[in-house]
This record gives sequence, structure tokens and C-alpha cells, in this order.
Amino acid sequence: MSTALNKQPQLGPQRLPMHAASQTKGLEMERRLQALFPDCVNEAVDALLTTLPVPHRRLERWKYAAVNGFWAECARSQTQTLVATALDPLPVPGLDAYRLVFVNGRFDAASSSLPVAEGVTCMPLSDAEANGREKRILTDMERTDWFAALNGKYATDGVFLSIKDGVVLDRPLVIHQRQEGVGNPTFLRHSIHLGKHAEASVVVWSSSSDDASGFVNTLTTGAVGEGATLRLDKVQDEPGTVHHLAMESIDQAASSHFRIQTATIQGLWVRNDLAIALNGAGADAVLNGAFLPNKSEMVDNHTTVDHRMPHCTSSESYKGILYDKSKGVFNGKVFVRPDAQQTNAYQQNANILASREAVMNAKPELEIYADDVKCSHGCTIGQFDDDALFYAQSRGIGEAEAKSMLVHAFIADILDGFAVEEVALEVRHRLAEKHNWNRWDDPSDN
Amino acid sequence: MLKINQLKASVEDTPILKGLDLTIGPGEVHAIMGPNGSGKSTLASVLAGREEYEIGGGTVDFDGQDLLDMDATERARSGLFLAFQYPVEIPGVSNINFMRAALNGKREHAGLEPIAGKDFLNLVKEKASLVELDGKLRDRSVNEGFSGGEKKRNEIFQMAMLEPKFAVLDETDSGLDIDALRIVANGVNSMRSPERSFLVITHYQRLLDYIVPDFVHVLVDGKIVRTGGKELALELEERGYDWIKEGVVS
Amino acid sequence: MAYDGKDKVLEEVTAKAYEFGFTTDIESDKAPPGLSEEIIRFISDKKNEPEWLLKWRLEAFEVWKKMEEPEWPHLNYNKPDYQGISYYAAPKQKKELGSLDEVDPELLRTMEKLGISIEEQKRLSGVAVDFVMDSVSVATSFKAKLGELGIIFCSLGEAVQEHPELVKKYLGSIVPTKDNFFAALNSAVFTDGSFCYIPKGVRCPMELSTYFRINESGTGQFERTLLVADKGSYVSYLEGCTAPQRDENQLHAAVVELIALDEAEIKYSTVQNWYPGDAEGKGGVYNFVTKRGICHERSKISWTQVETGSAVTWKYPSCILKGDHSIGEFYSVAVTNNAQQADTGTKMIHLGRNTRSTIISKGISSGRSQNSYRGLVQIMPSAENARNFSQCDSLLMTDTSGAHTFPYIEVKNPSAKVEHEATTSKIGEDQIFYCLQRGIDAEQAISLIVNGYAKDVLNQLPMEFAVEARKLLAVSLEGSVG
Repeated sequence: MSTALNKQPQLGPQRLPMHAASQTKGLEMERRLQALFPDCVNEAVDALLTTLPVPHRRLERWKYAAVNGFWAECARSQTQTLVATALDPLPVPGLDAYRLVFVNGRFDAASSSLPVAEGVTCMPLSDAEANGREKRILTDMERTDWFAALNGKYATDGVFLSIKDGVVLDRPLVIHQRQEGVGNPTFLRHSIHLGKHAEASVVVWSSSSDDASGFVNTLTTGAVGEGATLRLDKVQDEPGTVHHLAMESIDQAASSHFRIQTATIQGLWVRNDLAIALNGAGADAVLNGAFLPNKSEMVDNHTTVDHRMPHCTSSESYKGILYDKSKGVFNGKVFVRPDAQQTNAYQQNANILASREAVMNAKPELEIYADDVKCSHGCTIGQFDDDALFYAQSRGIGEAEAKSMLVHAFIADILDGFAVEEVALEVRHRLAEKHNWNRWDDPSDN
Repeated sequence: MLKINQLKASVEDTPILKGLDLTIGPGEVHAIMGPNGSGKSTLASVLAGREEYEIGGGTVDFDGQDLLDMDATERARSGLFLAFQYPVEIPGVSNINFMRAALNGKREHAGLEPIAGKDFLNLVKEKASLVELDGKLRDRSVNEGFSGGEKKRNEIFQMAMLEPKFAVLDETDSGLDIDALRIVANGVNSMRSPERSFLVITHYQRLLDYIVPDFVHVLVDGKIVRTGGKELALELEERGYDWIKEGVVS
Repeated sequence: MAYDGKDKVLEEVTAKAYEFGFTTDIESDKAPPGLSEEIIRFISDKKNEPEWLLKWRLEAFEVWKKMEEPEWPHLNYNKPDYQGISYYAAPKQKKELGSLDEVDPELLRTMEKLGISIEEQKRLSGVAVDFVMDSVSVATSFKAKLGELGIIFCSLGEAVQEHPELVKKYLGSIVPTKDNFFAALNSAVFTDGSFCYIPKGVRCPMELSTYFRINESGTGQFERTLLVADKGSYVSYLEGCTAPQRDENQLHAAVVELIALDEAEIKYSTVQNWYPGDAEGKGGVYNFVTKRGICHERSKISWTQVETGSAVTWKYPSCILKGDHSIGEFYSVAVTNNAQQADTGTKMIHLGRNTRSTIISKGISSGRSQNSYRGLVQIMPSAENARNFSQCDSLLMTDTSGAHTFPYIEVKNPSAKVEHEATTSKIGEDQIFYCLQRGIDAEQAISLIVNGYAKDVLNQLPMEFAVEARKLLAVSLEGSVG
């Protein structure tokens, strides 16, 4: 035997085993996509699609999220002309915001209202790429994950938003992604560039018709300049059998701020995949999310926070309540690279199993290569506090109501963190509607 | 005992001590007072050998030895004790074992055998009664979960155990109620002897009612600007520091 | 200032040489390197094994040939050349041993060098010791005394001959041959190990202990431990490991199976001090071990490990909590220094109702080492009211080492309560300075602080072992720490 090598281990997944049957299914899907989108060409992605393993259960990243549904959805996909629907372009009533609406991955100009302001450039990504403002650069995510790589090739449109140094977007920008019809494959790519000390609040709202199917694959890339602030509110509210994969790849410069709040209201299969790179000293990132799946829904929150530079902080809190036969996954990874001294990283995942058949899988990970750091994570899986329930009931509060109060208390801090208050309010209403809570305390009542 | 000559020290390139002179004879008790940020705690840390401080010049003679040439452990074993302003918690390490290691380190330095178990326990019992430190605190982890007063009493207990030649009390009175203050002061007073000297760093005159100093120095901006008897402390209490600062400027 | 920082102090305190790196000059019976059906038949024949066991080995070998070495651990090493290892090396002995007095005096000296003077232990602590050298058990003390209580404590080879019904019933029942690559390899080629059976209702009056040692160059050690605690019995079992200092990497692929029948309790403690390789990462033992126990109703298995040795460690002592009200515990201190790598932790599989598990893991990384905790807590649908608490802390001594935490938490029953906490921090400079100011030198200060940090785990060890473990922690961290 020879000597063990002792070089610095590589960060991230090192070995990616392939699974022959999945590989075949992946290639079938790709062929079908090619037929549906003959104009999509990307040789770099093609190379990746043949060398990367197609997701399967033995790939660490996909251990807990089965992807079979994608093959089925894709098999019934069809090219179809869109039927005009009575779509409310703005999912949040009364919100004063800019909006870009996409239906099945296509830009709906008539329903949209783009910002026009000094220092702000906003247009559909297809236009930005056509006029040379934006060049498609593959992210690390696409280079390491097969499903992500698909986006690099098949994303037909999305939002291009660029804000100059020191400019603050005066109103939230709502990106409304609507899924309709049978088996439609949707690929969207949003590209956000914030100059130094610029600020923007962006809401990405996904909705679908009740009978919608197919899948949605979105990738949001964010380049947050020095001292800039990007707030992202992400809401997923898709009935039907839509499979939703939402990826965010964020690159933060020194002293920048990034905050993402995710609320998964409904969706048969939802996976959020976040990769945050803290690329400048003093940057901070906040990642929060709440998910309340029921029936046989599956929600997977996957996060990677990569501390590359010193003096950065990250804080993460994901909370889930799982009803019926639903499944939840949390996989949070914090990397602290050798140079990232004085890192402060916090990660928390708390879950309540509200039914006999619900399942939660959690994998909070720390990978630390610097010593002067404060990193911690905590993870709990349990049930509603019986004492609290009983206490409430003994005061004459019904069980359902008591539980809704406890739910409210459990996820209140996540909902309070939304950048746009109206969005948080709407999320509350929709959650109450989904779970038949007859009463949901408005925070202003408290 | 201790002779500090033109001592200069800085932390992260910020000069804090700017040429400090101080001589402490055997058996003397000196008090150093001064406004916030004048360098009081820096002086304590520098004397104890804390490595974050850069020595920019000057000498410190400790009983004939070059103090600045010794590392923190050597200083401690040679008889220098610092009662910390914020005593450190060390989870899982019992107070007793901690003291045994410290005492035996000192004995080793003096060419003595480690102390016998029974003698050690008797010594602990004797010294603990000095500061009314009960048995439970002795067996608990070092300072972990101690109240502010308990921590300070533990510092004095450790001082009594190690019987230093020279002790620096860094704001030992901060956060103490009047009873704890009395206990701490009694502990210190009982250790006063013609061979042992003290440097008491404090913000308030109150402590000096209990531990009566021979000399009081005022530290402003890294230098001692005024020296007097114990009555100087009273004057400072009454008039504050501004009149001295003004005096320095003019 | 003369005291210009911990780094200097630490540089000065240069790495203490591995104390146990002597070799024992004993003639040994050694098979040629390589793994084949012939070699397995040779081993089986040497051990005079029954046909069923040979068959079992050959099946395991067939399975192994189709398996791949695991790639998922956070480890980076050159895979062993499995055909370059000699799979059998027995110290040559003239005949069956009647008592300890007949053991080769050279061997006894080896044991003494290891600090296990069997004679001493006999008199003072009453620990029964089984000594396994290069996979062959050479001495079991206290046999007669234990025999009076009906306790069987002997080498596995002997058990195969004398208690075949017990061995046949339990061997491979917890770690099946196809469980994993290393377990399959072990099943095919294991040469010896310890066997222990505690009869119903018997409380074993002394600690049972096995010392493992790899002696021969170019050999691997593949021992197997099988421990059965019958209903209502209790046993505390200790395991220690050393190996000589060699430039090549030696492979240790062991299997430990524990069976705790109803209301039995097994306490299994390990102090692992295989040769870790030199400061540059040359040599050292590859420690790829499968340890697993099953708990029947109201029984308890408690694993305690202090891992300081080995170049590469891959080890997850686990509990299958099958019986209702059963309890699994895992207490671990893993220290890595220089170029060592460890990927260790546990699996707690909750199947029974009201099952409880506790995991306390303390990792300490120094030098350029990489230290990972990997653990699985699985609550199956049948495990009503299961409870788990996990605490995984990492302490970093240097800015060139790594500390990683990979917990897997899978809950399929809503009445479960699972809590996991993890922290990573640097050794406290304030704490070191406080010690220094009290006249405690840097090395001792680190030892104090680390021992305090690991106290919850060290307290789980039996007395004699705890002392040894404390010393080992101090030695392992010498010359490295900040």
C-alpha cells in the first residue's frame, strides 16, 4: 500500500456516481426537450449533460428527493399554443409594484409593467441576450448538477435586471411565473445585477392553474455589488401536479447584503436549491424559509453557503410543518474556506410532524477549514407542544384553532422577514385557505 | 519589587501606554485610577504577559528579573498574579484540578515536589474559607455558571492559593455588591505582608475604603500624570478626572 | 515580549514520537500476500474450521469481489492493494496454550511494553484480557474464574471449536457478510478475535478486555468480535489497539457484533491508538471498522470511543434499537493531528416503541488533519415515542485543519422527538491565557482544556481506561496545538 495523500480536500461533492437506468431516462428527456425547443443550442451544456450523472437516489444531493415525476411529466409534454386565460397578473392584491409575467415560460408583455427609471435596466432576458447586454455564463450549479445544466440550455426567457451604483429601485419588482396546461416544460432564467450600494426588492411568485402539470425549472443568478442589498421574496403556490425546481445562485461582493425568504404554500414536488457565495469580506446573507406541505406533497430545501472571505456572516432558518403523507427535506451546507477567518455562521432547521404518515429528512452540514470561526447548527424534529395545546383548549380554544395559533407562533419569525409586507400577508391568507384555518391572527391585531 | 520604566505598548498599532513609569516597593499597596480608555487594563495585561500587546519600548524589572523577557507562565510561577477583570470560564475543568495544576507548576519551578493530595486539600479548605467560597464552587468547572461575585471571590481564592509576591487586581470591584466587596477586600487585606505588594486598578474610590492604598496614581492617556496618598482618591471621587486632564493638556 | 504566541510554544513542543512503535521479534507463521479462494481455504484449514464456516467465508468472498470500496466518506487516501496484503500472520507457537504461563515470553514482554502487564492486571484490577496479535488471539486470562459464572470469554477461533452452536447462531447476524465492502472482506478472511457470552441474569464481575496489535509488516488485521449478552445480563467490555511504526499503511478491517437480549446491558469502550503515521502523513493504519449492536426489549448498548490513532479512520459504531424501551448511546472523542483523517460517528436505528438514543461527539482537529462526524438518526414508523438527542461539537486547534459535521436525520414517526445540535469553534485563547497566568504551561493548559471539553465522554469510560485515555489525548495533541 502506498502513502495516504494529505492535500487539502476538495470542497463539495467529489465523486459523482452514475446510475445507468437514470442516465437513460435523462437522455430520453433531453431528446424530447430538443424536439420541443429546436432553437435551444448550447454545446457547453451538451458536454455537461453527457458527463454529469442524472439525479438518482445514490447521488448525495438527491438522496431524499425522487425525480421520477420529471420523467413522467416530460413524457406527456406537448407543444401547444397558449390559451389566453383570465390571469390576474399581480398575485398580491393591491401591491404597488413593477411586474413581469411569464406563462409557461413565455413573456406576457400585455400583463407586464416594467420599471422605467434612471439607472435601472429591466427587460425580458431574451431581449437582453439578443441585444448583447447579457451573455449566458454557466454557474457552478449548472456545471455540477444535471438538472441545473438543463436550464443553461433550455431557458427561453426570464428577467434581466441591472441597477447602477447607488440606485435604489423604488418599488418591488414582482416576477410572476404562471404554469398552465398539460405537461409543459418551463425553463426560466433570471439575471440580477446590482451595482455598488444599489438596492432592490424582488418577489418571485410562482402560481399555476388547478389542473396544471409539467415542470418548472428556474435559475436566478444574482451578482450583488459592494455594499449593495438584494432582497428576494420567493413564494410557491402551485396546485395541480407541477414539479418545481427553483435554483438561486448568488454571488456577493464585500459588505453586501442578501436576504431570501421562501414560503412554499403548495406544490406536488418542490425543490429549492440555493448557492450563496460570500465573495467579499464583510458580506452577510440571510436565508429563511417556511414550508407546510400536506397530502402527498414533497418540499426539499437545499442550501449551500460558501464562506470564501473573512468577516462574513450567514444566518439560516428553515421551518417546516408536515401534514398528511407529505415529505420534507432540509439539506443545509455551510462551507468555511481556509481564508474565511472570523466567520460567523448560524443554521437552524426546526420541523413539526403533524401527521402519522409524514416524513422529514434533515441533513444540516458544516464543513470548516478555518479555525477562528463561530459556527453552529441545530435541528429539531418533533410535534406540536401538547402542553400548549392543552392549555389553550382548557381556556376554551378549539383544537384546530389552537393548532393554527401554534403554527402561527412557529413560523411567525419567517413570515415577518419578508421584504414586502403585502407578500407576507398574502402568504398568510393562502396558507390559511389551504389548511382550512378559520382564523389566522393578523399580526396587526396583536 | 517592581520597577516600570518608560513602558510603551500598543494593540493593533494603536498606542495605549505611552511611556509609563511606576515603582512599587515590597509590602506596598498602589492604586491606579483613571478614566475609561486611559490604559489601566492594558497595563494589567501587559504585566501579566498577554501576547496581543506589542511592547514598543521601556523596561520592567520584577524582583531583579527582566519581566518582559519572561512568558506568561514564567511570570506567574515567579510570583506575579493577575486577578482578571473578566475571569474566564473553562468548561469541564474543575476548579480544584485547575488549582492543583497551577500550584504544582509553581512548585516545579521552585524545584519542589508536587504537593501531596492531603496537604493540597487542607490548603484548599483553609484558603477557601478566607473568601467564603463554599465546597460546591470549588468542585465546579472553573468559573462556569458562577455569578459575578463568585467569580471575583474565586480570583482571590486562587491568589491565596498561589501566594504571589506581587498581585495585580484589575477592577476586581466591578460588578460586586457591598457584601461581596467586603469579602474580597478582607481576603486581600489578610494577605498583606511586608513581602507582598499589590497593584489595585479601579475606577471607583469605594474599593479603596476597604483596601487602603499607600499610593494613588492617576493614569491618563497611557501615562501616570499624578501621584499622591489615599486622599487623592477622595479628591478624584469628588472632582472627577477632567481637572487633571486639563492640567495635563496645559 | 519573549512569549511571542502560542504558535512558537507549539512549535517548540515537537511531536512526541509514537510510543508504541516497537516491533516484536517473534517467529511468525505468515501466508503469502494476496487474496484468493486458496488463501481462504488455507486460513480456514489452519484454524481447523468446520465446513459451514468455510462456506460462509467463501460466500462472503464472492460478495466482496462484486463490491466497491466506499467513496462517500470525507476521506482522501490511496486505496489499499488488496492483493498486496498477507491475510494470515500468526505468532508461531508450539502447541495449544494451557495457561498464561505458557505464552511466549517475548509476547509477554510485548504486552508489558504496551502497558498491559497481564499479571499486574490480574492482581490489581481484575480485568480479564484477551490479547490479539496480528489477528490471532494469544492469551485469555481469568478464563477459569469467569467459567464458574458460565461466562465464556475466549478467542473466536476457540469458540468455533467449543461453542459452535452459539457462533453459528450469531456470527453475521448483526453485520451480514454483504453489509459493506470492509465487512465482506473481514468475513472472508478474519483470522481470529474475541468471543464473549454472558449467561442469563449474570452480571460480569470484571471488565473484559481485548488488546489488538498489528505486528507483522505487510499484514492486515482482520479480527472479529462477537459478544452476546443473554437476558438480564451485564458486561463492560474494553478494547485497546496499537501497532508498530511502519512506513507502509497497514489495513485494519474489523467487525464487532453485539447482541443485547432482553434487559441486557453492554458497555463497549474503545481506546483506539493505532499508529497514525508520521508528521508528514507517511505510514499509519487504515482503520476501516464495522461495529454494530442490536438491542432487544429494555436492553441497552453504550458505545464509548476515544479515537486518537490511525492514519485514516472509517468507523460508525451503531445500535439497532429493535426492542421496545431499548436504549442506545454513543460517546466519542476523536482527535486528529498532523495528516490524520477521520470520518466517524454512529447510526441509531429506532424500530421499537419508546426507544431512546443519545449521541455525544467531540471532535478535535489539529495539524493539517481532517475530522468529520457522520451520523444517522433514523426513526422508523414503528418507533412510537422515540427520542434522540445529539450533540456534536468540534474544536479547531489550527487554521490548517478541518472540522466537518454530516448528520442525517430521518424521521418517519410523528411522535418522535429528535434534537441535534452542533457547534464548531476555536480553542479559546482567553482560556489558554488564563491558565498561563496561573502558572500552567501551554501544553498542560491545552491538555486541561481539551480534557474538560471531552469530559462528558471520558466520564463514560471505566476508571483504568479513563486515565489511559486522558494521557493519550494529551500525547496526541502534543506539538500541534494553538
